[in-house]
Amino acid sequence: MNAFKRDKKEEEEGSGNPFQNIEKTTVLQETRIFNDCPVDSRKCTHILTKILYLLNQGEQLGTTEATETFFAITKLFQSQDVILRRMMYLGIKELSTIAEDVIIVTSSLTKDMTGKEDLYRAAAIRALCSITDVSMLQAIERYMKQAIVDRNSGVSSAALVSSLHLTKIAGDVVKRWVNEAQEAVNSDSVMVQYHALGVLYHIRKSDRLAVNKLVAKLTRMSLKSPYAVCMLIRIAYKLLEEEDSSGGASSYSTLFDFIESCLRHKSEMVIYEAAHAIVNLRRTTSVELAPAVSVLQLFCSSPKPTLRFAAVRTLNKVAMSHPAAVTACNLDLENLITDSNRSIATLAITTLLKTGAESSVDRLMKQIASFVSEISDEFKIVVVQAIRALCLKFPRKHSVLMNFLSAMLRDEGGLEYKASIADTIITIIEENPEAKETGLAHLCEFIEDCEHTSLAVRILHLLGKEGPRTKQPSRYIRFIYNRVILENAPVRAAAVAAMSQFGATCPDLLPNIQVLLARCQMDTDDEVRDRATYYYSILEKQDKSLANHYIVEGLQVSIPSLERALHQYTISPSDVPFDMKSVPLAAVPSAEEIVNPSGKGVQADGMLISTALSGSKVSAVAVTVSREESYAEKLRNVPELVALGPLFRSSDPVELTESETEYVVRCIKHSFPQHLVLQFDCLNTLNDQLLENVRVQVEPPDGYQLVREVPCPCLPYSETGTAYVALKFPEELGATIGTFNATLKFLVKDCDPATGLPDSDEGYDDEYMLEDVEVTLGDQIQKVTKTNFGAAWEEAGDSYCELEDTYSLSSVSTLEEAVKDIVNFLGMQPAERSDRVPEGKSSHTVFLAGVYRGGYDILVRAKLALAEGVTMQLTVRSTNPDVAELVTSAVG
Amino acid sequence: MGFWDKLVNLLGFKKKEVNILVVGLNNSGKSTVINHFKNEEEKLTEIVPTVGFNVEKFKNQNVGFTAFDMSGQGRYRDLWEHYYKDCHGIIFVIDSSDRLRLVVVREELNLLLQHPDIYGRRFPILFFANKMDVRDALSSVKIAAGLGLDQILDKSWHICASNALTGEGLQEGVEWLTQQVRELISNRS
Ligand SMILES: Nc1nc2c(ncn2[C@@H]2O[C@H](COP(=O)(O)OP(=O)(O)O)[C@@H](O)[C@H]2O)c(=O)[nH]1
Ligand SMILES: [Mg+2]
Repeated sequence: MNAFKRDKKEEEEGSGNPFQNIEKTTVLQETRIFNDCPVDSRKCTHILTKILYLLNQGEQLGTTEATETFFAITKLFQSQDVILRRMMYLGIKELSTIAEDVIIVTSSLTKDMTGKEDLYRAAAIRALCSITDVSMLQAIERYMKQAIVDRNSGVSSAALVSSLHLTKIAGDVVKRWVNEAQEAVNSDSVMVQYHALGVLYHIRKSDRLAVNKLVAKLTRMSLKSPYAVCMLIRIAYKLLEEEDSSGGASSYSTLFDFIESCLRHKSEMVIYEAAHAIVNLRRTTSVELAPAVSVLQLFCSSPKPTLRFAAVRTLNKVAMSHPAAVTACNLDLENLITDSNRSIATLAITTLLKTGAESSVDRLMKQIASFVSEISDEFKIVVVQAIRALCLKFPRKHSVLMNFLSAMLRDEGGLEYKASIADTIITIIEENPEAKETGLAHLCEFIEDCEHTSLAVRILHLLGKEGPRTKQPSRYIRFIYNRVILENAPVRAAAVAAMSQFGATCPDLLPNIQVLLARCQMDTDDEVRDRATYYYSILEKQDKSLANHYIVEGLQVSIPSLERALHQYTISPSDVPFDMKSVPLAAVPSAEEIVNPSGKGVQADGMLISTALSGSKVSAVAVTVSREESYAEKLRNVPELVALGPLFRSSDPVELTESETEYVVRCIKHSFPQHLVLQFDCLNTLNDQLLENVRVQVEPPDGYQLVREVPCPCLPYSETGTAYVALKFPEELGATIGTFNATLKFLVKDCDPATGLPDSDEGYDDEYMLEDVEVTLGDQIQKVTKTNFGAAWEEAGDSYCELEDTYSLSSVSTLEEAVKDIVNFLGMQPAERSDRVPEGKSSHTVFLAGVYRGGYDILVRAKLALAEGVTMQLTVRSTNPDVAELVTSAVG
Repeated sequence: MGFWDKLVNLLGFKKKEVNILVVGLNNSGKSTVINHFKNEEEKLTEIVPTVGFNVEKFKNQNVGFTAFDMSGQGRYRDLWEHYYKDCHGIIFVIDSSDRLRLVVVREELNLLLQHPDIYGRRFPILFFANKMDVRDALSSVKIAAGLGLDQILDKSWHICASNALTGEGLQEGVEWLTQQVRELISNRS
């Protein structure tokens, strides 16, 4: 007891760690004693511990160091000391990716994994699989198969889990172990059964039919291992979700019944997993939901904190999608808000906030304030998210909530937490004009003392965007200019950019701004100076249109594409000046991505089901690489298509077949300046057919000219191949919109399902009707974000041509619907949130901006009025009269 | 080391432990040779080609041998050197029926002898002219000449013709090695 106390104290003082002062080079030198004969096991074990400690602390080893250490460790195979040997396996595993020639221990490890000492076997398997590369896998295959079905459950589990890891380097080889994995599923050991199911699923997961069979078989045989049942529930859940999205319903009820039956399982883990799956299913009806929610409700009052936590966390997550069901648990949740476990309490309160009435907000916020300082950042973020939801639901509560947020902003906290608060304030500002000035004030105060550069930069950008359009823009200048004096270079640069926005938009502030910018030209940092000079000289001209283009609207093109295009231009210089219009535009994030930046739809599937990135990573990637850029990458590799110029726009994929047909074909329409490329991604789902020379024959509308066809040479079972058709757009723009008939044509060779090899070289031609491909106006237009639509519109009034027409939209009955239709139809970007119709209005105006292929700007103003249906006055301004004509005529 | 320890050592009472390295081209019979020395209950019934190396232990006249049985395939020969530093003896196995590769053996042997971790160190090298049972196998004398063993001056060496399948010749060799190792150790102490 005393010893324990002392330890604890030491820990607090940070001196309890015996390895705290060890140093890499010294430790590596100590490995010399591994060469002693006989080895001193105690000393060696201690040194190995230090090495492992260092590696796990993130210490980097160079290749030579690692290789030397590795070979020193291999000497320890001569020791008979069980502890040392097991440490040695760990050492081998850790160094396997850094050291060279690690396969030197292959024979020694195979000997240990098949040897008499059980304590070595599992660890040796794990080490062996980590040192094995594809070329060596053959040599150990026999041993792996034996180990998977070994009677010792530790050995079997180790072999199964290692197989899973090996699928990353050699999926095909591991597929051959399916019989052994199958046998292991029947094991009495709960872990072996679980791991075996993991391997089986992994082997089959790309084949829907096989997964379905696997699940059907296993649900009937009633697995012993609760872990395996949980896994099975997750697989079934995934199948249900996929079936749902593909519209099929063949086995929906069997799968659902299985999950439902698990609600009555004897293991709590399984019950929870089943309830979790049911509440998360997109298609769950309230009848189906009820039993799952009652299970969670029961768990809420369990004496076990883990169960309470799991239940309330799940309820919290589905509070938005099934508020009514969650409200049924309100009483239980109320009991949890004083739970001694703060995590549970936080989740309970935030759940109540999400579902509760406006009147309870103040009470709950007070409760949360009483302990918010005690909870971890992760849960503070949960609180922030609940507040965000509340603000959207009860706009009138914004001042209470905003105060709360600003208090949180002043507290200690990591970047992610602070960013989530700032994000929420920004959302509130954007959603609720009344909250704007207070929100900006809070943010101004925050950047006065903000240690996170990235956050400060974002807030400065926002101030530059929103500040000039407030009642009193001048009050923000001081906050921004303070940054120039006090901060690091990136923040100073952002501050300079923000100030220039004021200069461009507020004429009365311009003289002052110019003085400040002139001072910034003396900055020590290149970027800051360059920006200041750039903005200063533009503002100096006092040319509204110039300032609009180069300050207010900023760069519309995609930065990576610009970089690539400039690089190309410098490689092969020409007399023609670089054409900015040839650079693809940056992707405009969809409304969904903006509202839901954390990518809520993405679910973590658990360790064995998929390697999906966590939600936040997914959306981060999605925002930086536009659809066009990733397709452009792919199209560049098709030599026949490179001559078509830069890719302008790519459509979403369109399915041209029913799901679950023999061949699945989806089409992506790519617009180039003068050409249309249809990309057909084809999947062959017949395991007894090999397709060759796969192509799609299209019958284009008049005016289109076929330029090229690129067939897919070979399409084996379960693979996706791509065929292309390139056409030239008609000169007459009106003729570009139309319907293409499409037929899939190919040569079939029958083959043996087991090997995939064709029975003979002879094949026969066959074809398959596809659904029509529609080419629309939207396919030829790229979205453009306008920060200040008014200025752009005014400017276009002088120089663009204008067409105007009035339409009656009889098929829609509300303004919202009309707005949605027109935005979708034109494929243009609504400016300044004009796609939101304020409640209770009978008329509304939408502003849209876009570019037509070839680089012609289009601005659209649509005035909508409610009158037995909706009437719309559409004004189109474009740099090209034909384009304006096309837009007005296409709408009619 | 005290007088008593010295005496014990001289008389060979105290158990001695040495590391030896077993090298030679692949398929020459290294693993089969080592397998022969092991205890009955530890003997393998099937010898598979070695990938990397194996550590095997056996005893002869109170000396404990820890043998690093190296793989002789080309890819692994360069890795032998990692184990040179701390060996107290080498067993070099030659397939005497493989006339074609005798030049390769000579080359590898020279590389080994010239290696900084080996050159000049006084420890014994035992050569097994293995597979003597195969028709057309070269005699140990021919092999010694072919490899130029008489030029080895810094080490004591010995060559035996052997048949690792039956064990013929192996005992003679290992007894010589044990004797050498004993001498080496008692001189050192
Ligand atoms: N005929 C014959 N075959 C042998 C003899 N020694 C080993 N072998 C065989 O030679 C092959 C290679 O032996 P192995 O010990 O694996 O060689 P290593 O690569 O040097 O370890 C095996 O098939 C042995 O059975 C021998 O003395 N005579
Ligand atoms: Mg061998």
